[in-house]
Amino acid sequence: MNEIATRDLQAATKDPEHVVRHQPLDRLYHWLMAICVFILMGTAFLPILGIKFEWLDIHWITGVALAALVLFHIVRALFFQDWRNMWIGITDLREMWGDVYRLLGGQARQQLPGKYDAAQKLYHLGVAVVVLSVVGTGLLMLLKIDTPLWRRNPYWFSADTWGMIYVIHGMAAMTIVAIVLVHIYFAVHPDQWYLTPSMFRGWISRADYDRHHDPTRWKA
Amino acid sequence: MQFLRYSRSIYGGQDQLIGASWDLLPWFVGAAAAFIILHAILSAVANRRRRPSR
Repeated sequence: MNEIATRDLQAATKDPEHVVRHQPLDRLYHWLMAICVFILMGTAFLPILGIKFEWLDIHWITGVALAALVLFHIVRALFFQDWRNMWIGITDLREMWGDVYRLLGGQARQQLPGKYDAAQKLYHLGVAVVVLSVVGTGLLMLLKIDTPLWRRNPYWFSADTWGMIYVIHGMAAMTIVAIVLVHIYFAVHPDQWYLTPSMFRGWISRADYDRHHDPTRWKA
Repeated sequence: MQFLRYSRSIYGGQDQLIGASWDLLPWFVGAAAAFIILHAILSAVANRRRRPSR
């Protein structure tokens, strides 16, 4: 399947009608992260909602997998990709203000975004903060359980500190539920729909690129 | 509604913080639903306004 995706992408790279948006590795990361997040949400919240099962092993193993994926993404984004595509600058803030103003009925000239629009960058920033919080506290919480790789040592932190770690983990986990719902909403929203297939096939059409993006801000 | 969960410490009578209250989960889901509904209404109105009238 990956071979087909790579072939599609190579075709898109040469095809002037297609603009590559997501490399195969980035799509793989996205979908593996999605699988991890759904497993983590299921193992976290289903027992709370009354569906009882042995959730802890699945939860911590998936959590470690998510931590590894996030680390991979950070390294790839910082050293192998252009991190400025996701950086929020003055132009983005102006664009965001224009979007909100138009949404509320005002008349403002529409500023075309680069690869990601201001709302997507803001969303990514929110996801980054929340996921790093949940992963960071989750890794600390591994100190409380015995695994084949280490013995538990809950005395690293005081009871109060553990309480705070659990609060941050729980709050971040509940925020992720809200974030996932909003993410799915935008994935099926008519204004964003032209982007959604690119998370499967890797590219958007040249016509959509011309219509929705500023070529000076996203050189494709 | 509670924001945090506490348990009584076995070493004393003091309440011990043990995590966020799961009572908040419906509020997070509700906040997401409210955002989605509000955005859907506003963007539908904005799109209708943008569309040229016949």
